[in-house]
Parts: sequence; C-alpha cells; structure tokens
Amino acid sequence: MILVWLILILLLGGLLSWLASRWNVLLARWIALGAVAVNFVLTAGIWFGNPVPVGWVAELDLEWIPRFGIHFHLALDGLSLLMLLLTFFLGMLGVLCSWKEISYRPGFFHFNLLWVLAGITGVFLTMDLFLFYFFWEVMLIPMYFLIGIWGHANRIYAAFKFFIFTQASGLFMLLAILSLYYVQAQQTGVYSFDYFDFLETPLPFKTAQWLMFGFLIAFIVKLPAFPFHNWLPDAHGEAPTAGSLVLAGLLLKTGAYGLLRFVVPLFPEPAMAFAPWGMLMGVIGILYGGKLAFAQNDLKRLIAYTSVSHMGFVMLGVFAFTELAYQGVVMQMITHGISTGALFLLAGMLYERTHTRDITRMGGLWKSSPALGAAMMVFVMASLGLPGLGNFIAEFLTLNGSWPANRLLTALAAVGLVIATVYSLRIMQKVFFGPMPQTWPAADLKPREYLIMIPLIAAIIWLGLFPQKTIETSGHAVTEISLKKGGSR
Amino acid sequence: MTSLIIVSVLAVAVLYLGLFKYKTALLPVSVTGLLAAAAMAAMDWDLEKMYFSEMMLFDNYAVAFSILLILTTLLIFGLSRNYFEKISNNVAEYYALMLFALAGGVVMVSFHNLAMLFIGIEILSISLYVLAGIRRKDPASNEASLKYFLMGAFATGFLLFGTALIYGATGSFNLAAIASSGAFESALFRAGVLLMMVGLSFKVSVAPFHTWTPDVYEGSPGLIAMFMATVVKTAGFAAFLRLFLMAFAEASAFWAITVAILCILTLFAGNITAVFQDRFKRLLAWSSVSHAGYLLLAILAVGFSASSAVLVYTIAYSLASVAAFGIMILVSRARGNDHLDSFNGLARTNPFLAFTLTLAVCSLAGIPLTAGFFGKFYVFKVALAQGYTWLVVLAVINAMIGIYYYFKVIIAMYMKENANAVAIQLNPGFRLVLSIVVFLIFLFGIFPGLIANIL
Amino acid sequence: MLTQSLFYFLSFLAIFSALAVIIAKNPVHSVLYLILTFFAITGHYILLNAQFLAIVNMIVYAGAIMVLFLFVLMLLNLNAETEPQKPAYIKIAGVVSGGLLLLVLVGALKTVDVSGAGGTTATDMGLVENLGMVLFNEFLLPFELASVLLLTAMVGAVLIGRREA
Repeated sequence: MILVWLILILLLGGLLSWLASRWNVLLARWIALGAVAVNFVLTAGIWFGNPVPVGWVAELDLEWIPRFGIHFHLALDGLSLLMLLLTFFLGMLGVLCSWKEISYRPGFFHFNLLWVLAGITGVFLTMDLFLFYFFWEVMLIPMYFLIGIWGHANRIYAAFKFFIFTQASGLFMLLAILSLYYVQAQQTGVYSFDYFDFLETPLPFKTAQWLMFGFLIAFIVKLPAFPFHNWLPDAHGEAPTAGSLVLAGLLLKTGAYGLLRFVVPLFPEPAMAFAPWGMLMGVIGILYGGKLAFAQNDLKRLIAYTSVSHMGFVMLGVFAFTELAYQGVVMQMITHGISTGALFLLAGMLYERTHTRDITRMGGLWKSSPALGAAMMVFVMASLGLPGLGNFIAEFLTLNGSWPANRLLTALAAVGLVIATVYSLRIMQKVFFGPMPQTWPAADLKPREYLIMIPLIAAIIWLGLFPQKTIETSGHAVTEISLKKGGSR
Repeated sequence: MTSLIIVSVLAVAVLYLGLFKYKTALLPVSVTGLLAAAAMAAMDWDLEKMYFSEMMLFDNYAVAFSILLILTTLLIFGLSRNYFEKISNNVAEYYALMLFALAGGVVMVSFHNLAMLFIGIEILSISLYVLAGIRRKDPASNEASLKYFLMGAFATGFLLFGTALIYGATGSFNLAAIASSGAFESALFRAGVLLMMVGLSFKVSVAPFHTWTPDVYEGSPGLIAMFMATVVKTAGFAAFLRLFLMAFAEASAFWAITVAILCILTLFAGNITAVFQDRFKRLLAWSSVSHAGYLLLAILAVGFSASSAVLVYTIAYSLASVAAFGIMILVSRARGNDHLDSFNGLARTNPFLAFTLTLAVCSLAGIPLTAGFFGKFYVFKVALAQGYTWLVVLAVINAMIGIYYYFKVIIAMYMKENANAVAIQLNPGFRLVLSIVVFLIFLFGIFPGLIANIL
Repeated sequence: MLTQSLFYFLSFLAIFSALAVIIAKNPVHSVLYLILTFFAITGHYILLNAQFLAIVNMIVYAGAIMVLFLFVLMLLNLNAETEPQKPAYIKIAGVVSGGLLLLVLVGALKTVDVSGAGGTTATDMGLVENLGMVLFNEFLLPFELASVLLLTAMVGAVLIGRREA
C-alpha cells in the first residue's frame, strides 16, 4: 500500500500546492517540499529496513480494467528502491533550487514538477506494462510545461522538440506492448499486461526482435543514445534549473531503467543479437557527446552533451551482458543523476549571478565566489571520473564488465574518459579562472544554496568511498537480470 | 422507443412554446425532456425489445448510444443559453430542429431495417441543413448550408441505390434477414454494400468523401458545428457499425480491405491538412475527419469488442469536442476570431478555460490520464486483435502528427503572451458544462473500466 | 411481345433523355429532357403494374417539382457563358470515377439471375390496395416517422424562407 502512497502524495501535493499558491506562494513551496520530503523519508525507511533486499520488497496488485487484464500492479525491488531514493533526493533539491528562481505562476510550476516526479515514481514501480506506458506518458506533459513556460528564450521550440521525440518513440512502445499482449494471448491464452506473465512467455525470435525494437526505440530516445540525442541539448539548455535537474537526473534514467528492466529480461535473445550495435551506439555516444561538449560555449548545452557522453556508458554496459557491467550501469545512473544534476544546479546559480550561460563571457569568478567554485570543482572532477568520487566507480565497473564482451569497443570507450577530462577542465578554466571580462556582483553561496550543495557533495563522495552499500542494495535485482541472458529461460 | 417518442414530442412541444412566446421556458423544458428521454432509454437496458415488426431493435447497443446522444445534446443545450438569441429571433425553432435531429440520431442507432436507417439519416440531415444556415445574412453560413445540402443529397442517393441493390440481392430490408440470406457472394449484394459504404462515408466525413467538412464546420455557427462533430458523428458511426455488424459481418472478408483503405486515406488527409490550419475551428474540423479514420479502425474489427471500442471512442471524442468547440466559441466571441493567435495568453486571463482546453486537446490527441487515450488505445487494440498491425502502425504515425497540431493551441495559451487580452466572462451554463466535461474526461481517463464495460 | 417492345422503347427513351440532360448546353433543355426521363420511368412503372407509383411519379416529379425547376431556371436566366469552367483534372477525375462506378454496376447487374431474383414476384404488388397494406402494417413505423421528417423539413423551409424581422 505504501507504494500507492508514494505516488498519491506527489499527485495530491502538486494539486494542494497549486491551490495554496492562490493565497500564499510560500505555503505552496513548503507544501511541495514537504510532499517530496515525506516520500524521501518513507523510501529511506524502506531502505533502512531492508538494506540488502532480496526479491520484491513491497508489492501491490489491484484490478484496474479487468476486461483487458490490466492491473494496477506496483512492486519494489532493490533497483527500483535506489532509483526512488534518487528521485526524491533530486526532487527535493528541485523544489529548493526554484525557491527564488521561479516567481512566475509558482503554483502551477510546483504542480507540474510534482506530477513529473509522480510519473517517474510510477515508471520505476510499475509491473504492468499498460500502467508503465501510462506513467511513461504522464511524465511528459508536465515536463513539457516546465520547459515551455519557465524555460529560456528558445523554450517553445525546445519543449516541442522534446515532446515530439519522446511521445513519438513512446507510441512505438505502446504498439510493441499491445502486440506483445496479443502474441502472449496466442501462445498461452492469457490476456494480461503483467510483467511477470510476459517473462514466462516464449517468443519466436523474429517476433521478439520486432517487439524489442519497439521498446528499444522508446528507451534509447529517452536515454538518449546517438543518433537520437538531438532533442536533449535543446531541452536541457532551455529548461529552468529544476527542469534540467529533473531531465538530466531522472528522466534520462527512466530510459536506462527501461533497458535494464524490460528490454534485457523480456527479449534476451534479440537483445544479445543487437548487443554489438548497442555497444557501438554507446561508444559513439561517449566519443561524439564528449567532442560536442568540448565545442559548446553555452554552459547548459555543454553539460547536456556531457550527459550524452555519460549515457553512452549505460548503453555500453547494458549490452555487455555481464553482471559487473550492470552494476556499473546502476551506479552510473545514480552518480550521473547526482553529478550532472549538481552541475545544472551550479549552472543555474551562475546564471542567477551573471545572467548569461555563455562561458566565454565568464571568467575569474573564483575570486568573488570561491565556495561556488569549489562545489563546481567537485562535480567537474566527478564528471571526469576522479577516483574517490562516485562516477569513477560507475565507469570503472562498466568498463571492467564490458571488457570480456568487446575489447575494442571498451578500449575506445576508455578514450572517452580522456575527452571527459578535457571538456571538464575547460569548464573550470573558462568560468572560474583566467581573466575576468567584466565584473560580476560578488556573491558567493547563500545559505539555501549551501543547503542544496552540501548533501550533493556528501552523496557523491559517499558513493565514491563506500559504493558497497549501493551495490548490495541493487545486487539481487541485477543478478536476476543478468541471469536472463542468452536463452536461459 | 419511449425515449424516441419523448424526444419527438418534446420537439413539437418546444415549437409550441415558441409559438406562444414562452422563451424563458425553452431551455428548462428541453432539459427536463431530455433527462426523461435518457431515463426512459436506460429503462430498456437488457430488454432487447423489437418494435413494429422488427423495424427497431432496442438492444444494449441502441440504448447506450441513445443515451450518449441525448446526454451530449444536453451538454450542448447547456451552452446554448443566449446563443441563438444573438443569431436569430426564432429561437424555439432552432431548439426544435436540434431535437428533431436528435430523434433522427436515435433512430440511426436503433434501426433494424434499412428503411429506418434511411429515415433516421434523413431526419438528422434535413435538420442540419437548416441549422448550418442559421445565420442567414452571413454568406459563409449560406455556403455551408448549401454545400452540406448538395453533398448530403448526393450521399443519400448512393445510400438509397445501395439499399435497393441489397434488397434486390437478399429480398429484405431487415438486418437479420439480410445477414441470414447467404447472398454475400452475389455481385449485386457487393455493389450494394459498397454504395451504402460510400453513402455513409459522406455522412461521417470519411476521405475521400470528406471535402465538405471543413467548409461546413467553418460556416456553421460554433454550436451547430459542435453538434455536428459530436452528435452527428456519433450517430453516423453507430449506424455505420450497426449496419456492418448486424447485416454485413459475414461478408467482412470482402469489404474489410476497402474500409482499411478508406481508413488510411482519412487518417492522412485529416491529420496532414490539419497541420496547416491556423484557425482553430478549421483545425477542429480536419481533426474530426482524422477521428473518423480512427473509428474506422474499430469497424474493421467486427466482433464483440468493436461496438465497445466505438462507444468508448465516441464518448471520449464527444466530451473533448464539446469542451474544445465551447471554448472556441467563447474566444472567438471575445476576441473577434478563432485564429490560433487569439488564444495567446489565455492561461493568464482565464486559467480555467486554458486548463479545460488543454485537457480537451490532450484527450483528442490521446494522451494518458484523459479519456481520449483510452479510446485510442481501445481502437488500436481491437484492430491489432484482428491482425491489422500495418494499419495500426500507420495510425500511430498519424497520432504523432495529431499531437503536433493539437499542441499548437496549448503553446498559444501557455507560452505566448497577449498584452491587451482581458478575461473572458463565462455564464453559469458554460461554467457548469465545462466543469462536468473536465470531471468526466479525468474520470474516464483514470477509470476507463466505467465505460469499457458498458457494451 | 408488345410489352417487350414497349419496354425497350421506354428504356431507350429513358437512357437517351437522361444522357441528354447532362449533355445539353442550355439548362432549360436539360430540365425538359429530365421531364422526359421521368415520363419514361413512369411508363416502366405502368409496365410493372405499379399504378400508384406511376401516378405519384407523374404528378409529383414530372408535374410539380420539374415545373418548379423550370420556373426557377427561367427566372435566374442561366446560360452557358455564365457557367464557371471546371479545371481539366476535375473533369478527368469525374470521368474516371464515374466510369468505374458504371463498370461495377454493370458488372453487378450482369450476374443477376432475373427469374429468381429476391423480393416478391407477385404481379399485383404495386396496386394501391397492396401498397397500403404493406405501408400501414409492416412499414407503419417508418411511415409515421416520415411525418417527423416532413415536419422538420417544413420548419426548416419556413425558417429559411421567412423574412427576418
């Protein structure tokens, strides 16, 4: 039952916040923060109760539309638990970072923010494929509004592009889900959208391949993998800070989660057959994303392209089909969520101070705001994979796990780390060091901003120093998935 | 049957009210009468009654669609307060004509004999020819009326010819007798089916017989266009499906491919043209063409679920159309025209209207949490169950195109500003109807089982 | 024998004048040919022993409606010069689709087995008495509903025709 509450609290919190904003904007912000915080505490409670979850920790299965065998089926395992923790953690920061930034229609803003989070929560929890598609789409509209209403200058175009890309790919997934439903009904006579029923259904290879592509397209557009990354820089660049945070930190992870949860277990043979191409797409993403990131002057677009590069590791790991690589992917999802989220937050703070996103117009900011610079330094280092920070663990595990699968591609992917160093240091160089082209009002981190940054820094260091906790949490779920490979059912 | 009598008598009663100048009583009397008609229709549930030597069959299909038609009309009447008064002096006659049209619609969803189908369609159409031309001094309205009349008369010719051929092949007008005649192989019968299909396609604006739709919708007053998009379309499709389900189902191998081609043509014609519209009413008209395409998908799947799918789809579509046309009326009245730019900044001046329209448009586009998503899902589902995968793939591509143009209005409302826009005043009728529609779109979007289990 | 030659004569007349309706340049001629068509069809009805239909067709169509048409046309003073020319592609499309329809119908009618074609073979079906029996027994409901149809049409005609105050 607690799983429904996780979603309901967000939905109701969003509505309440919208209503409250008619009388008191501050109240609306507190309601939004409270709702996410309650969810975070609830999820953390589950975690502390089950630090090493085996199988399904919590489950709920209600009939929704019995005529079609559609259930309201939610379930939580170690993998979803980690993703939920990340969701609510970043969700709270999203509310906090909008505290001052968003003054235009704040109630509607928080409504949209919380409904995106609710959709993401649903995606991470649901075990019914119809419901999964439902939540998958529920994320989109509020996100569209977040970008389109509160974004920067080119927001309408960016929002539209984001929506069309993700919606179009989502419809292919719907088609695949429906076909899977009928294929299953033909094979077994069971009309059901349930994940566990689909796991049992043997599929002819050709059919499975087509169906897999339906799912795959939705997930790799969302991830995004090369060549479907086109929407991402626009959407990330134009979104407000909280929007970029949710996009980079969470929405991209739903794509990775979908690959792990659905593509690999449901269609193991065709996924194996596709694996070399998948890994190749990953490597191209790593190198090409890194190259483009280096060429950007717009700070937010730059960070957006680093996401493309980092998500390449996810592609690489998912299609390596080793448990080690899957562990790396899970770590990458979490650490990338935190580090890139933090980078976007920092970009937002810089924008508040300088009113520009162009890094060639910044410079020498270290003198006026050293704390800001230090925070930036931490996450830039995380992004380039410095040992001791979470991303290092993730990338190391992924590369280690992919080595047996394909040596050449893994070696090429490792080159990506060098590129990461180059573009990461360029950020620091351009923004905080060097000559100051014009004087900015000296303003270092404010208390609220410290409140945002300190947990993030703590988290990324903790993940880097004690990754074992996280690996243990998701361990069982990941082992389950990796056992699926290559016709083992 | 009782509901049909009530609706017809109500129309006459409204005429009399007009004669004695009880203008204030028009709306209350109509609403009460319609509620009574809906209640009487509901009483026929599960009775499966035949009337007058099998002329009409009030099975659950007929009851469900009758109630849908009546309730949709009720919603439209809720918006009509002070609407016709601005257009004409003869308010009562317009109410009466809409009620007559409704009576025709009820006949169309409950016929069990081709003669009844014909009469139902004619009652509906004749009323609409007049209603489309309400604004007599407006050339566009005249054009709409004339165009609709000519095209409609032409379509009726096809329909009658088809009916005659089918009578020739089977020796009966009775649906059950046609279905059991075993004449499906005869060329006469097949020609009859095709001609009837053409006639009905005209009425529900299926491409390539859709060309009248945008001009007629645009020229007609907004409320009448709303009536056409909801009641007329629902009745037309219910009749279409009923005919093909009860009489021609056995011959589906023969006509299915034709319907499939019509479906593709309709989808692409409707959606692609809609992309280039910059007036909201025309956009809605083209989108209504495209929705006919999605509904054809369900007709392909003749079987038990097809009627349920069409019912769900038409409910969702009618609700969303009432809201979309209603707000279009308000905006074009307040800002002079229905150009998409007129919607700029609506979210700031009228958050409720903007929200309602967003919901309606999302429902039309088929986005989850709204009733329209489930309608599309259901239609795709029954078509896939029949193995029309390629057709569903094309329909999905069209759904993507649909999103593109539906979102134009959302963009205008939320992301563009209009400095000198003032808030639009709503009368209580609008507020009530729009609130009901919002509630129902959400309700059926979250609990689609409520409507999916009716048939 | 006489019936058969009469049938062929009337059919020829009907088809010829129907073609003339659409070929004739002058609209008034068109209408006159249309009247001729109706007369030919009336003749067919008589051959089929459908007296009531024959009379109704003669009085209503050939008599009332077509005369009305003729008056309207003469009042409007239409002639070939004022008629807008349709573009060629529309003409071609019209010919193609019309030809296809013709093909389908001819094909369908060719296969019909005349002797046993469905429907009634009773020869006195078209008499007024029998028609009345069918109309007021089996087809009572459509007959009554036709009154709603006529009422609708009447209300509509009054609405459109009346001078707006």
